[in-house]
Amino acid sequence: MKKVILFFSLALNLLSACKRDDVVDEDNTYTLSPPSYFPSVLYPLENNPISKEGFELGKKLFNDPRLSIDNSVACSNCHVKAVAFTDPQHNPSVGVFEQSGTRNAPMIANMAFQSEFLLDGGVSHLDFIPVFAIENKKEMGETISNVVVKLNRTADYPALFKAAFAEIDTITSPYMLKAISQYMLLLISDNAKYDQMLRGEIAFSEEELQGQTIFNEKCATCHAGALFTNHQFINNGLDTTFADIGRALITETNDDLGKFKVPSLRNSMLTAPYMHDGRFKTIREVLDHYRFHVKNSPTLANELHKSGQLGISLTDEEVDNIILFLETLTDYEFIANPKF
Amino acid sequence: MNKLFFSILILTIPFFFTACDKDDDNNDTTGNIEIEFDNIALENGIQKQLSLVTPGSTEYQYSNALGQTFNINLLRYYITNIKLEGPNGELYEDEVSVNASGTKGIYLVDESDLETGHITLTNVPSGNYNKITFTVGVEENGVQEGAAGGVLDPATCNMFWNWNSGYIAVKFEGQSPVSNGGVSGVETLDVSSANGIAYHVGGWRDMEGTAFVYNNKTLSFDFDTNAKVSGNEQPHVHMVFDVLSLFKGVNDIDFTGNHNVHKPLDGVPIAENIPAAFAFDHIHQ
Ligand code: HEC
Ligand code: HEC
Repeated sequence: MKKVILFFSLALNLLSACKRDDVVDEDNTYTLSPPSYFPSVLYPLENNPISKEGFELGKKLFNDPRLSIDNSVACSNCHVKAVAFTDPQHNPSVGVFEQSGTRNAPMIANMAFQSEFLLDGGVSHLDFIPVFAIENKKEMGETISNVVVKLNRTADYPALFKAAFAEIDTITSPYMLKAISQYMLLLISDNAKYDQMLRGEIAFSEEELQGQTIFNEKCATCHAGALFTNHQFINNGLDTTFADIGRALITETNDDLGKFKVPSLRNSMLTAPYMHDGRFKTIREVLDHYRFHVKNSPTLANELHKSGQLGISLTDEEVDNIILFLETLTDYEFIANPKF
Repeated sequence: MNKLFFSILILTIPFFFTACDKDDDNNDTTGNIEIEFDNIALENGIQKQLSLVTPGSTEYQYSNALGQTFNINLLRYYITNIKLEGPNGELYEDEVSVNASGTKGIYLVDESDLETGHITLTNVPSGNYNKITFTVGVEENGVQEGAAGGVLDPATCNMFWNWNSGYIAVKFEGQSPVSNGGVSGVETLDVSSANGIAYHVGGWRDMEGTAFVYNNKTLSFDFDTNAKVSGNEQPHVHMVFDVLSLFKGVNDIDFTGNHNVHKPLDGVPIAENIPAAFAFDHIHQ
């Protein structure tokens, strides 16, 4: 009996595989197809196959203030496309009833390659991020169950959910969460000047090359690889005592005091203000921090107090070149893409 | 190629259906078994049915090992990964699957809805079974699959921790006169409730030296007789869960402090009491 069912579902799978084959768009617009030099996809896609309808639904939800308690704040209020889905204005980001949290909204791009989310890694699956955002009193202040009730009552959503997930008759939270994930998963930023250089389409200038060299030497232990993050939680010397204890909130160990997730530096010329609390307004302030203001504490990263010396030594010219290099990480196609 | 495949499948599908029909008529190879989780209070060796009170009630039916009285508003827990074994190599492992349309093999037992304590396992191979194994709590496979429906739906299950994603394994809320209240993040009470006690115990992963601790418990029990499963015999296995044992055994729980538990690390003392709270009781054949 079991075998028969297995066979039968195999047959069904094959059927739907055939069907899917017919609708796949030529340019792979709705498939996750990162460049070969990106790290591997960590999101379990087999549980949430991306479709055009699912993606479009996720995009609509992401931009819909009805996900908040007073219908005033959408995800896109704090994650603005023009600045790589970060929050340009507010420091820290402002949610419902003009309340502000303590953290600055990070970029949403290349989420498929992460397995720990939020600046402290508190959420371990992309699907669960909206639960956190919606139920956070200082973000959207709503409950997931009430959002589901609201969506079921709208004129447009029930049909859109049906189109994206044929098996459902009423909207339930997992489908809403899967749709938002589909949208976020396809927010891939992989066409900066840096990528064009890697693909051999363009060459870096002398200064950009020097910037890259010095970056690799001084910054790339943490801002590593194609995404410019090693995905670790690290104290980069902002404070000696911590108003926000970061990773230690989750792990409750003193070893993690003041540690935050190393952010990707892709699009960082667009993502000011900088750091978890948005304390720096410009990239020069960030570099000044690494040169002159790194503060010591028991959890400070070793790289930042090598041989008794606090911070990273850089000449003015090296700073200029690092900034030129960081500019090559800006993906203008990403922020202009009408699909997103 | 695809088209060819497609037509072959279409042609063969009717055969699958007949195959299924035939199997269903054949009662000898599989059967059902019911596992009941019955929540009780075990006082002086006597099993008493639990009674839930309305939140805020000052009638205290129970007491812990320290003699502190208490009552219960809510009691709920997950049972997963049920496995049955028999003396002649019989083996049944309840399939666990988790996706948006629903979950299989994960059960949420809720004292406010006694039906939820009756778990019927179907398609169990015929034979004798004399041992059950199950896990209290949702394991990594239930969490890392992402948003799920059914008893894991984060909008309706009331068992999901949004800040540290994972599911509560055992949720207990009630009152004790010795508690000074102030519980937060609780379903049946709020910070203003006097005397609230809340124990939300869970944790699906261990990270050395941190507050991430694994609090799920996998428990095995031998039956005193065989449960005989066949097409026309559906045995009923009666398991009991003694709520009083949550608060004693390995660790005596004191309601005057640490009575607002919401994190894996804080829940360890109760989690360590969980194994002895479950027991096999009897089988009806
Ligand atoms: C009030 C502003 C605000 C709103 C509204 C908001 N966010 Fe955020 N978002 C933030 C902040 C601040 C953080 C960082 C929080 C932290 O680390 O604790 C964040 C973090 C995230 C992350 C984690 C990124 C990473 O690299 O770990 C994702 C993904 C995300 N938000 C998606 C969403 C979605 C989806 C919604 C809508 C359901 C949403 N946000 C609504 C401010 C907001
Ligand atoms: C020891 C690890 C480490 C090294 C080395 C390091 N960083 Fe960072 N960097 C971090 C961490 C951790 C953060 C996030 C801190 C926070 O959120 O408070 C960060 C944040 C940043 C940010 C802010 C990004 C944003 O969106 O908020 C920039 C820009 C940055 N680093 C650039 C650099 C440059 C340039 C260098 C080399 C000169 C460098 N970093 C070296 C760990 C490091």
